[in-house]
Amino acid sequence: MVKARLPDEAWVVALSRVPGVGPARLRALLASDEPASLWRSVCNGTLPNELPSGVSSNGAGLRLPQALRDQWRSASRTIDPEAYWKAHVEAGIGVMLRWSPSFPEELAEDDDAPAILFWLGDIDRLAGTRVAIVGTRRASRYGIDVANEFARELSLAGVSVVSGLALGIDGAAHAGALAVEGAPPIAVVGSGLDRVYPRAHRSLWRAVAERGVVLSEYPLGSSAVAWQFPARNRIIAALSDVVVVVESQSTGGALGTAVEAARRGRTVLAVPGPITAPSSAGTNQLLFDGCGPVRDVDDVLLALGREPERRRVAAEQRPTPIGTAKDVLDALPWQAIPVERVLSATGLELGLVMLVLEQLENDGWVSQRSGWIERIGRGGAR
Amino acid sequence: MLATIGSATLSGIDGVPVTVEVHVANGLPGFTVVGLPDASCREARDRVRAALLTSGYSWPDRRTTVNLAPTSVRKVGASLDLAIAIGVLVASEQLPADVVADRAFLAEVGLDGSLRHVPGALSLAAACSQPEIIVAPASYSEASLVAGPKFRCAADLRTLVDALLAEAPWPRPPDEPITASNVGDADLADVRGHRLVRFGLEVAAAGGHHILMVGPPGSGKTMLAERLPGLLPDLDDHTAFDTTRVHSAAGESIVGGLVRRPPLRAPHHGMSAVAMVGGGSHRLRPGEISMAHGGVLFLDEMGEFGAVVLDSLRQPLEEGVIRLARAETRVELPARFLLVGAMNPCPCGEGVVPAACRCSDRALERYRRRLSGPLLDRFDLRIDVHRPDSRQLLGGSAAESSAVVANRVRNARCRAIERGVRCNAELSSSALERTSPLETDASALIERSLESGRLSARGMRRVWRVARTIADLQGHDGALTAEHVASALHLRTDPAFLVRSLVN
Repeated sequence: MVKARLPDEAWVVALSRVPGVGPARLRALLASDEPASLWRSVCNGTLPNELPSGVSSNGAGLRLPQALRDQWRSASRTIDPEAYWKAHVEAGIGVMLRWSPSFPEELAEDDDAPAILFWLGDIDRLAGTRVAIVGTRRASRYGIDVANEFARELSLAGVSVVSGLALGIDGAAHAGALAVEGAPPIAVVGSGLDRVYPRAHRSLWRAVAERGVVLSEYPLGSSAVAWQFPARNRIIAALSDVVVVVESQSTGGALGTAVEAARRGRTVLAVPGPITAPSSAGTNQLLFDGCGPVRDVDDVLLALGREPERRRVAAEQRPTPIGTAKDVLDALPWQAIPVERVLSATGLELGLVMLVLEQLENDGWVSQRSGWIERIGRGGAR
Repeated sequence: MLATIGSATLSGIDGVPVTVEVHVANGLPGFTVVGLPDASCREARDRVRAALLTSGYSWPDRRTTVNLAPTSVRKVGASLDLAIAIGVLVASEQLPADVVADRAFLAEVGLDGSLRHVPGALSLAAACSQPEIIVAPASYSEASLVAGPKFRCAADLRTLVDALLAEAPWPRPPDEPITASNVGDADLADVRGHRLVRFGLEVAAAGGHHILMVGPPGSGKTMLAERLPGLLPDLDDHTAFDTTRVHSAAGESIVGGLVRRPPLRAPHHGMSAVAMVGGGSHRLRPGEISMAHGGVLFLDEMGEFGAVVLDSLRQPLEEGVIRLARAETRVELPARFLLVGAMNPCPCGEGVVPAACRCSDRALERYRRRLSGPLLDRFDLRIDVHRPDSRQLLGGSAAESSAVVANRVRNARCRAIERGVRCNAELSSSALERTSPLETDASALIERSLESGRLSARGMRRVWRVARTIADLQGHDGALTAEHVASALHLRTDPAFLVRSLVN
């Protein structure tokens, strides 16, 4: 039979495409039999009622009800393992199983390890120290600046930045890592590697694959489904030596990553934010619960056990505002405020205030975003 | 015998003169109405018959034919009732023909012979060419807004016939009901805080710029919008006459003369497209956009309106009229209004504050699609409304009153009229370039905004017009400065819900 010549990976790829075969079941199935014969059992419906104990990570068995096996059997008819495998090879997608030598050690030993990983880019770039920078999709300017700056400086210090390619903090972290010639960026995504999500990050996605590596647990054609994102977070947590949560609402995926990281004994650090800002409610809660605070990137390097580099405090390079510009800047608090509040704080005319704010923005003192004005601290991203 | 009586019917908001011809002759007793009557017009037969009998006149037991000329126009409503009744009296020789010559009759009759008000009395009266027009007492004050003809009224058929025969004097017209003047318009002085939105409303009123307010629930959008009509000057004669005719045709009671104050219409978002632009199966009734003619159309919860309803606004916004066409009729209604939209920034309502929104991407995407780009583009002013903080609500000095602002608005509008337009929003591109040159740094600012993508080429003209209005409000002559342009730019911020999450 020709099909028998396919590598083990091909059969696992096909198995992972069957709906209802999640990471845990796939792990248990692979512990019970050879991939090729497993696939045959799925197709013929000859899987046993129950897999013997010891296949799951907690040592228990795995029950396979008749309905589930029937469902798998009918789903398997729509999958041609050979063609599907060819599609992966032709798309330049790397596949590795949990027992492959290239499989990252931290992940392979994990309780909840993925049985298979797909990658785009260069898998060797996975080596080295890794720090996850994660946070909310609805980030404030502050969060975006911090994520961007941390990612740049960590990259320059030779630390790979791991994140999830989502909007907001994730995107800012990847963009920061790509902005410098440093350690390769690493992305872990929650969909098949041909399904770019969110679509706004198409070019960022490609850039990470070129300079670093994009990882996924899901085969080609798997679209982004809500439960896959928390699942993706456990891989981010397991891959990283330190997890930095930059901004998070009181509920959010980033908090999930923090919990997964803590469960695995990784250091979780949180960036403090204003207690009134909803975008920092989750991170402030983490701090209250005992996570370490991050004041600058040195704190992250310390957590990695490195000696922070002696860095010079960069001299202020922005032109000092004078006259009306100084009055306006002095009236701005450190949180974003709408232009209306600038008007009432300064008592100036709208036109004048807008001109002054434009000047301040050009000089790098403030940022404007849909009518909100935010001060930029020293060294903030522009 | 034949009788010919003058009357009128309504088409849209225009009156159409109608000649009612009644012919009574020997033959099988019967009564026919010909000449495109609609259902309520055909029912006139039963009303008129009962009215004549209860008033003590006899009904001809002969063949009676009523023709409504011109026969090509569809006759709607009950405005021809009285003319038919008088026609029957003349044709059956109960009333001499010479007393009805040179007179027009406009009223619905009740079964007891009483004369009742008909919608559109103003337009109907304006359409009649006769020197004397008889209307119901309830229509008198409205109809007599038409200059020229002499108006008479009578409470019922019997009184009317006695007066026609000169057996009794004409009844005195009813006293004008006393209306409390100057009620209604809420005052801007009640609004605390909201400096930016107040300024936006002032600019909207002065330049006729459509305005979109985006803010969370409870930020005061409705309260602010209700104060906009109070900033607008009184309607000019022509507009006032049109607006009054629209209101009259829609069946609203017109008291105290022409509608002089700009109307405020705030329809509910559940409305249909026909209710918005006008129409209907029997007669084409004016919709909300025509009712708002000369005034303000306020669409609260704009995102909740049907997409068809909103897009039906686009043509009237451009042309100031709405043309309705049906198989049989075709009317043009005035519809020049100031559009005020209010909406939440996103489904959860908190999206004005950065990073406070809890909506999913998909929900945001759906919400974004509610307003079509072309409609959004019609708004010269797009302003975020924030909840005022407690300090502004409780303390603070009283703000400017509507009267003060309205005064500035009137002066600014005078400057626009000198340029040959009603308001700056109507300035053509060439007139704009001619009358409102930009100072060097003002055009530099526009160029920078175009390059950075904050402004589109079409948006540029709109910003320019708004800058003109801001300069007019300040009494500024000469070229527009960078400050004017910067203000105008900020008043046209992209609503937060349209701005995609920033990446870096």
